[in-house]
Amino acid sequence: MAGYLSNLRKDIARWQAAGLIDADTAAALLRDAENRPGGISFGSILAMLAAALLGAALLLLVAANWEALPRLFRVGMIFAGIIVGYVGGAWLKQRDHAAFGEALWFLAATAFGAGIALIGQMYHLSGDEAQAVLLWCGGTGLAALALRSGPLTVGAVLIAGGWLLLQVDWRGHDLPLGYLAVAAALWGVSLWTHSATARHLLLLSLTFYALLVYMDGGTLAAPVTLVAVSAAAFAVSVQYPEQSERVLRLGGGLPVQALLGFLAGMAVIQFEHYEKQSFTLLAMLTFAGVVGALLLEGRHSRMLRWLAYAGFIFELGFVYIVLLGSMLGTAGFFFAAGVVLAGIAYAITRIERRMANVRRGGEGAA
Amino acid sequence: MTATGFPSRYLIPIALLVALLQIGVLYWMIHGRVSILRDGREVTLTVLPVDPRDLLRGDYVRIGYTISSLPVALVEEPEKADPAERVVYVRLRPNADGVSEAVAARFGERPHAAPEPQDVDIRGVTYVSPDALSSFLPVDYGIERFYLPEGEGRPIEQGVGVRPFSMKVAVAADGTAQIKAFYDGDKLIHSEPLY
Repeated sequence: MAGYLSNLRKDIARWQAAGLIDADTAAALLRDAENRPGGISFGSILAMLAAALLGAALLLLVAANWEALPRLFRVGMIFAGIIVGYVGGAWLKQRDHAAFGEALWFLAATAFGAGIALIGQMYHLSGDEAQAVLLWCGGTGLAALALRSGPLTVGAVLIAGGWLLLQVDWRGHDLPLGYLAVAAALWGVSLWTHSATARHLLLLSLTFYALLVYMDGGTLAAPVTLVAVSAAAFAVSVQYPEQSERVLRLGGGLPVQALLGFLAGMAVIQFEHYEKQSFTLLAMLTFAGVVGALLLEGRHSRMLRWLAYAGFIFELGFVYIVLLGSMLGTAGFFFAAGVVLAGIAYAITRIERRMANVRRGGEGAA
Repeated sequence: MTATGFPSRYLIPIALLVALLQIGVLYWMIHGRVSILRDGREVTLTVLPVDPRDLLRGDYVRIGYTISSLPVALVEEPEKADPAERVVYVRLRPNADGVSEAVAARFGERPHAAPEPQDVDIRGVTYVSPDALSSFLPVDYGIERFYLPEGEGRPIEQGVGVRPFSMKVAVAADGTAQIKAFYDGDKLIHSEPLY
């Protein structure tokens, strides 16, 4: 948000200098932009960082099992932290200190997790970490729902991701299908709490989940599905940008997520077809996907452009290793890499310039 | 991120409700453990060293027991169990020294053999399928960790395997086990207060 504001300030000054708008309009535009609700200020970012630090301190205090504090006192401290955090956060939120209110809620949710850990430690429980983390996730998700808090939704999504990782780590061969249900529930919560960040994280986790399914079973069904779904999502977001945004509400980020899913899926599929005839075809398909994404959506999103460049470079490296690596010596590799990098740099500057021209053309027309 | 149009009048009561609910969950967890400690039947188990190089991990010691690895001969009718079953009930009987040993085990339910009055059935989980048993069945009872204040695990780590350690464990009516007291020989290292 702060970045948008400083850009806008420059633009408005430029428009005013060029005589496009008068001083009153300039002031009115700036005022409107600064008072826009829903923005994240540096203050709120710092408040969240402070809450994260305090939360980490709390968790570590529990982990250290410090005997100077009696157990009952520690439990009481956690209970007090939960009450003060939630109620104090609500109080601050009502008095227009939304950032600090959210930070306190975040701290309260951390205290709940620390409480679960503390009980595990007090009674020497072993073997059910995943269940404990799931409980923490449930409590945080419920708090997000009840208090309509975006940051708490993001917190619950992150904890759910931790739960997924724990289960994968512990059981190895049993994929936690329950994660899909948890992700769906959190998606619903995120719609209610207006947290696009949470939805983005959930989509990322689903891409990761598809890769886990592949690692678990070794069949290509999961990556192929991932690629197909991603391509379809991309097509829909290009064809029906407004409708897809209204349904998914990703702040226009669907194409980026779709491209990422596509690249991840294609990487796995190509890995499986390593040293087969079909590899060249798959590589061409990947290049086509990247270039297509750039041409169709690159104009709208800088993040998509950078992801596309990164995908392009990664794919080049992949192809190089598979097709040419055995033929050229190290010197040849360095030479080729230098030439290729120069080519990429040239292509990127051309594309960026074209985007800038398109944008300038659009402004001129308006 | 901030939601607009939310009836903020109710925010504090809702926040209080969320807090009380979460505290309630924590209290309920504590209560469950306290009731096992208070009402559960006591057994004493012999502690075995677990991987002596990596016994101390962070702030807890990993602990094994003589009953952590059961001779397959003790398992009743494994061929009748569901291959997906992983829960094992183990019947413990104190020997002449008062230390409990496994006398029978069964997948999914308590052993069918008639119990003696001093017997206690403890609930455990294995990762081995009943139709894939080898000579020993590994079982976890949820009491394989002992948390210590930071830095106090080293002496125990060095002692286990050299001297006899034992653990007093409370077992609830449903078979759930809960650590109660940890002994180095006859010396009490640590005893659990209820709260």
